Parts: sequence; C-alpha cells; structure tokens
Amino acid sequence: MSTLDRTAELVLPPPPRRAAKVWALVALLGLILAWAFVGTGFDPVALVQGVPKMIDMASRSWPASYSLVVDPSAYEFPHRLTLEQLLLPVPLHGDLAYVKTAWWQNTWPNTLLGGTLQTIQMAVAGTVLAAIIAFPISFLAARNTSPDRSVYMAVKSVNNFLRSIPDFAIGLVLISAIGLGAFTGVMALTFGTATVLIKLFAEAIEGVDPGVVEAVQATGANRLQVYSFAVVPQIMPSFLSFVIYRFESNIRAATVLGLIGAGGIGELMTSYFRMFQYQEAAMTVLVLIVLVMIVDFTSARLRKLVI
Amino acid sequence: MSEPVLSVRHLSKRYGDGAPVLRDVSLDFEAGEFTAILGLSGAGKSTFLRCLNRLVEPSGGEILVPSAILDREGGQIDVGKFGARDLRRWRRKVGMIFQQFNLVKRLTVLENVLSGSLGYTPGLPSTLRFFSSADKRRALLALDRVGLLPFAYQRADSVSGGQQQRVAIARALMQRPAVILADEPVASLDPKLSLAILDLLRKVGQEDGITVLVSLHVLDLAKRFSGRCIGFAGGEVVFDDAPERLDETAIRRVYQARTEELKAYPIPT
Ligand SMILES: Nc1ncnc2c1ncn2[C@@H]1O[C@H](COP(=O)(O)OP(=O)(O)O)[C@@H](O)[C@H]1O
Ligand SMILES: [Mg+2]
Repeated sequence: MSTLDRTAELVLPPPPRRAAKVWALVALLGLILAWAFVGTGFDPVALVQGVPKMIDMASRSWPASYSLVVDPSAYEFPHRLTLEQLLLPVPLHGDLAYVKTAWWQNTWPNTLLGGTLQTIQMAVAGTVLAAIIAFPISFLAARNTSPDRSVYMAVKSVNNFLRSIPDFAIGLVLISAIGLGAFTGVMALTFGTATVLIKLFAEAIEGVDPGVVEAVQATGANRLQVYSFAVVPQIMPSFLSFVIYRFESNIRAATVLGLIGAGGIGELMTSYFRMFQYQEAAMTVLVLIVLVMIVDFTSARLRKLVI
Repeated sequence: MSEPVLSVRHLSKRYGDGAPVLRDVSLDFEAGEFTAILGLSGAGKSTFLRCLNRLVEPSGGEILVPSAILDREGGQIDVGKFGARDLRRWRRKVGMIFQQFNLVKRLTVLENVLSGSLGYTPGLPSTLRFFSSADKRRALLALDRVGLLPFAYQRADSVSGGQQQRVAIARALMQRPAVILADEPVASLDPKLSLAILDLLRKVGQEDGITVLVSLHVLDLAKRFSGRCIGFAGGEVVFDDAPERLDETAIRRVYQARTEELKAYPIPT
C-alpha cells in the first residue's frame, strides 16, 4: 500500500474554531477605540472649522523669514566693536570687553543660528556627560561584573526607577531649582540619558563572551584588569553606537526642553509663536528640520563606522 | 622523589545540589610531567581542571601546592583556602588553554599575550593597557617561541584558529607558569593542527619544566603525546598509568562501553 492511499485512514485533527474568539477580540478592540476617542473629546467639526485658521496661519508664515539667518542685522552686531574684536579672542578693555561678553551671552544665543548651535551644544554636553557617568555605573548594574548580587539589584532597581521619570518632568523640576537656561537643559538631558545608557551599557556587558572573561581571570588578573581586558574591548562598539544614537535623540529632546524654557532653538520657537511672528517661527521650524536631517544622516554613518 | 607541584587530595565537586561530578579524586603531579586526561563527555574532565585554579570552587578536598610557588617559606599550602590575593598569585602560575581559545578578539595578538602578565602587574598602567618595555620584549619572545612574531600587531581575530591557539599558549607562557591546564585544546582544530599544537605544548613543557595537564577525547593523541594518562568516568579516576598500559579492559572502563559496542565501533588500541 502506498503512502498516498493511507491518507483515507488518517484521523484528521479537528480544525480550530477561531471565529468566535476573533469576533470577541474585534468587539473588544472597538470598545477600547471608542473609549479612547470619547475620553479625548474627538471633534471632527472643530477640526474642519479650524481649517481656514490653519490656512490663514500658513499664509502668514509664508514666506519663512530667511533674513533671520542671512541678514546681518538679525545678529545685532554691536557697532562699537569690529567683527575681528567680536569673533576672535583679542584682548579688550573695560567697556568694550563688557559689550563683547554681553553680546555673546545675551544676543548670540537668541539669534536663530546661535540658538541652533546652542541646541547642538546642549546635546553634545548632555550626551557626553551622561556617557562618562553611565560607564562606571553600568558595571555595577550588570549581573556578570557587579561585585555583589545585592549591589547589582540595588543599582539596577534605582536606575529603573529614575529612568521612569520623564525628561520633561526633570526639566521642570530643574528649572524651578536652578532657573531657566541652557545649563538646566544640559542637566536634564544628562539625567535622562545617563539612566538609559546605564541600562543599555549593562545589557551589553551582560552579553560579553564569558569564556574570554574566564581566560583573563585565569591569568591572575584583578577585577579592574578583567574589566579592561575582557569586557571593555568587547562592548566598545555597542557603547559608541548607543552614545551616538542617544546624541541623535538628544538633539530632539534638547529642542523640546527649549520649549519649556531651557535654551536653544526650542526656546526661540516658542517665543516666536507667542509673539505671533509666524514667518520667524516658520524659519525656525525649517532650520530644525535641516538640523535633524543632518544629525540623523551623520549619526547613521558614524554608527556604521564603529560597528 | 621530588615534592609534587600539585597534590590533589579527596577532591569532590557537585554543582548546586545535583549529583557529584567529582568524587574523592586524589592525584599527584610532578614538575614537568605531561599528562593526558581522558573520559567521556560529562565525565568531569573540565570540572577537574577548573577546580585546580578555582575557576570552579571545589566542594571538598584539598589542592596542595608548595609554598615556594607563592614565594613563601614552609611546606605545602591548600589552594582551596587561598584568599583573593593569594588566589591571584596562584593563578598567575597556572596557564590555561581553552577549546575556544578565548582570546580578546578586538585586541592585538601582542596585547593578548601581554594579558598573561597581568597577575604580576596589578597597578593602574597595566589596567589601562600600558606595559613596560621589558614586558613587551618578553611577550614578543613568547610570540617568537610559538612562531607568530610577524602577527604581533594584528587583531587577534584576524589570525586562523590554529594560530589563535598558539597565541593562547604564548599568553600562558607569559605567565611564567609552573602548570598549564589545557581543556580540550585541539577539539576545535583539524587533525594536522592538533598534532602541531600538542607538539608545541609538549615542547614548551619540557623546555621550561612546566607540568602540563591536557584533557583530550581522541585516544590516539593521548597515547602519542602523554607520559601519563588519567581516565575519568563518572567523576572518578578509573585509570592512572602510562599510555602503553591502556589496554582494551582499561579503555572499556574509561569509556564505559560494553563489549558489543566496542566491536561495532572498535577503539584503536
Ligand atoms: N556550571 C555547571 N553547572 C552545573 N552542572 C555542570 C556545570 N558544569 C558542568 N556541569 C556538569 O558536570 C558534569 C561534568 O561536566 P564536565 O566537567 O564539563 O565534563 P567533561 O569536561 O568531562 O565533559 C556534567 O554532567 C555537566 O553537566
Ligand atoms: Mg569538558
């Protein structure tokens, strides 16, 4: 008897009865959706009624105020100083030195170019500071390198708790504690980034080849030497990749922090909107788009390079 | 007879509360001896070797070594009782070779060899991977001995498997070892490379008077290279003699094979 003939004798398992379950699931999903829409006051009429206003706003934003970037008058260069005196570190006396400092501290960050650069500075400072802080702590937060199980548990759970605090909330707390400004933004970024990096770094450390760790231990190396020889070389590529990735997201985060008054291009954007300077606001948005595009592009390239 | 380099006394090991993996193992090893450890997979060969430098903590028994090995006066001391510092001083005298080579892939061949001196240089510079020119010279000499000097500045994972195992041997030599523990050092290599690696291990062992313990599962290799064979079965020593004495009965005891199986898959004797 061939195998084909035998199919007739097979007792087929009953097909699964899915239909009822699927309908129940669809109904549940529908209910959840309805709940979400009702709770948020879904109002298509308001949306439609808002269209003319949006068009009005768009037309008033058009054309974007390019002069904000290209027109020298936007930078309010102090006429008492030459461009060289302003831009180069030349020695200046009393009054002139004061004018120079005032321009760099108060005028420049409020220009669109200065604000953009400040946002980048915030992201760089916050990311690097966070990486430096997270690096040693992550060894305590990794199961295989922590000196003790209780240390591992403690560091890990405290970090998990701190990581659950939104950047935004930290920004608001810091603003009330140390005031408005880019420094506050950097501190908020550092905090939020460090907690994420500790988790990512620790996971990378837990993924290292234990055989290599054993081999270095077997030479009589001490704990730090084992970290340096067996762990660090293995995790370096992922470390760098995480840091670059966080820099990329910190450019956006720095912008959002600016919206609540922590410096940079975000702060400029809100103030233009508040003063109904739509053409200026539009230009800010354009610069932001270009900035994010450039950063995304270069960070993707850099991360490919380190891996 | 000279004092043994290693005296294992009633060594036992169980992982957690599982069945014992080593039961009452007592063995002596003389300086410069080349010993093959035989046994089925799971017989406890790796556990035994790893107990000796306490990569695995023994559950009972003693591992006695001469005090002189830690530059101390006195008789024999028990490795099992060493604190962290003495353990590091013992480990630096024990080179270890692994089946998977376990080199740091992203470091250079030379840096991997230099890691063999870490037990002697506990300070900050070596932690930051700075070494004295004397250490570098020694590392280069060790590389020369294993025939890999031209590869010193290449990344460790850029050389072949056989070469990586040679680097591992150079790393062990860098430790100025009294003992080398090699756990299946040739199981990942082809037969020709296996011969070369075992030959190298035997040669450096003879030249430097190093006690070499090699676990192997190819009987032929054990017979060819070792001066002594130890057979483990079920965590016990069931054979300990010269390789010539490994007759069919002994082999059956080590490999726990029944006669029919031996007939179907004859083990070359
Ligand atoms: N880390 C461990 N935890 C629990 N059991 C282990 C561990 N290592 C080895 N064993 C067990 O101990 C026994 C002996 O293993 P091993 O020493 O690796 O033998 P061999 O090297 O001869 O193959 C095996 O049954 C193995 O499953
Ligand atoms: Mg093994």
